[in-house]
Amino acid sequence: MTSASAASLTRADTASEATGAAGLVAQGVSVTFRRGTQVIDALKDVSLNIPRGTRAALIGASGCGKSTLLRVFADIVQPTSGTASHYGLTPAEARANRVYALVQQGSTMLPWRTVIDNVALGLEIAGTSKPERLERAAESLALVGLKGFEKSLPAELSGGMRQRAAIARALTLRPRFLLMDEPFGALDEITRDRLHFELLRILEETGATLFLVTHSIAEAVILSDKVVVMTPRPGRISQVIDVDLGQHRTPATREDPRFGHYELMLRRALHHDA
Amino acid sequence: MTRELWMGRGARILPPVVLVAALVAIWGWSAATGLLPRWLLPGPGAVLHEFDVSRAVLLKHAQVTATEALGGCAIGSVLGVAAAMVMTLVAPLRQTLYAYALASRALPLIVFTPVLVIVVGRGIVPVMVIVSVTTYFPVFLGMMRGLERSNPDRMELLYSLSASPTQILWKVQLPSALPYLFAALKVAASTAFVNALVTEWIAANAGLGYLVMVSGQYFRLPLMWAAIFSAALMTLALLGLILLAERLAGRWTQQATEV
Repeated sequence: MTSASAASLTRADTASEATGAAGLVAQGVSVTFRRGTQVIDALKDVSLNIPRGTRAALIGASGCGKSTLLRVFADIVQPTSGTASHYGLTPAEARANRVYALVQQGSTMLPWRTVIDNVALGLEIAGTSKPERLERAAESLALVGLKGFEKSLPAELSGGMRQRAAIARALTLRPRFLLMDEPFGALDEITRDRLHFELLRILEETGATLFLVTHSIAEAVILSDKVVVMTPRPGRISQVIDVDLGQHRTPATREDPRFGHYELMLRRALHHDA
Repeated sequence: MTRELWMGRGARILPPVVLVAALVAIWGWSAATGLLPRWLLPGPGAVLHEFDVSRAVLLKHAQVTATEALGGCAIGSVLGVAAAMVMTLVAPLRQTLYAYALASRALPLIVFTPVLVIVVGRGIVPVMVIVSVTTYFPVFLGMMRGLERSNPDRMELLYSLSASPTQILWKVQLPSALPYLFAALKVAASTAFVNALVTEWIAANAGLGYLVMVSGQYFRLPLMWAAIFSAALMTLALLGLILLAERLAGRWTQQATEV
């Protein structure tokens, strides 16, 4: 398993480096759901290119298909037509080789496991030896600021701490892609603000590519280099806005006049489409 | 804090204890005044006296019934859990067998006891077989429901981590199913002794059920009631054991705080 995944990753890397191909690519992806007699176009002919190392946010009203697009990349939803790829790997190969890590909306935890055992879950499934996975889980926990909570149960943590634990779990696999589905949606604003900068720091340290689904304009601007605006019925991309606020961002970035400018731009893009 | 806790517990335990004491008092009073005819229900003193006098007989028959009920309950539970796990892992098996497994619950299994007696003879074996079959159904169904109703977000997480079906079963579905399993075990345990007793009437020459039947025929009513109370006490003991196990597995079974 390990040698096979290493081989395919090397192949994918060489391929993308040789062709200069991007990280996350969608080409003409359409997804149709049938609900009774109704046919719903969740995604219609979506093409997208997120270069590796980019922090990308996907924003749009409910039902615009942003979560569906993330699920296509996660190999949870199969496109009706078109293709999606990570570094040249299909979503199924990416999942099998654990190239991406998923952070879900509700910071899903297994309540009967301690925090460290929850964080080590991905490595446990991958067959990593116990001492190694505990060591790496402890590293991840330290990275998200949860040192000292290893033996706690998830129910003993606050919502923000559980979300950090979910991010730590994703990080233990050292993913190239972090697929996050409204990860901060359920948190209070103060906690959310703090986690934004922690996520940015973690991305700088790990060099992972971020693919974040959000419905918060401020969150999209502060976290990303590229904002993909989507519109519903049928779900499609209406605009891709490059956010030029530099690589390193701090709470002061929000006071930058350009921050307000991008917020306004996004708001207009969203309202224009609605 | 401790005092409040103790008082809280006292407030919870006191009403049922008072109720039982009151019922026994009413029972004693109606037996003493002749309101309750003695041939129907002898007084509590007579039944208690019988426990003392016939201790050896009661103990002998209680041992037989306990072996049948506990053994049958254990076999049925293990089979029920195993069948539910196999059907969860092997989809074609589930598709072909699940409907029949549900439908077979409609069969009054106890009527097959005479056939069973012809095949295996009288004694502990046919009773244990009937108890295990009647235990099997609630446990299998409860386990199946628990395995099917695992939280979809947890299932999706494991899927995204590329977990195999066996890993998903062990790491998510089984722990998620434990509250359902314990609920089913309580149902199974409460019927295990009753089923053992009733089956003994047909299939055995020993056991509390046999004792109830025989002492009833000879109008030894205090002995009959002592046997009935013995079976009830053993049922309560078994339920208590299951509750204790559930409490000990607290982390796995108390999932009220959905995380």
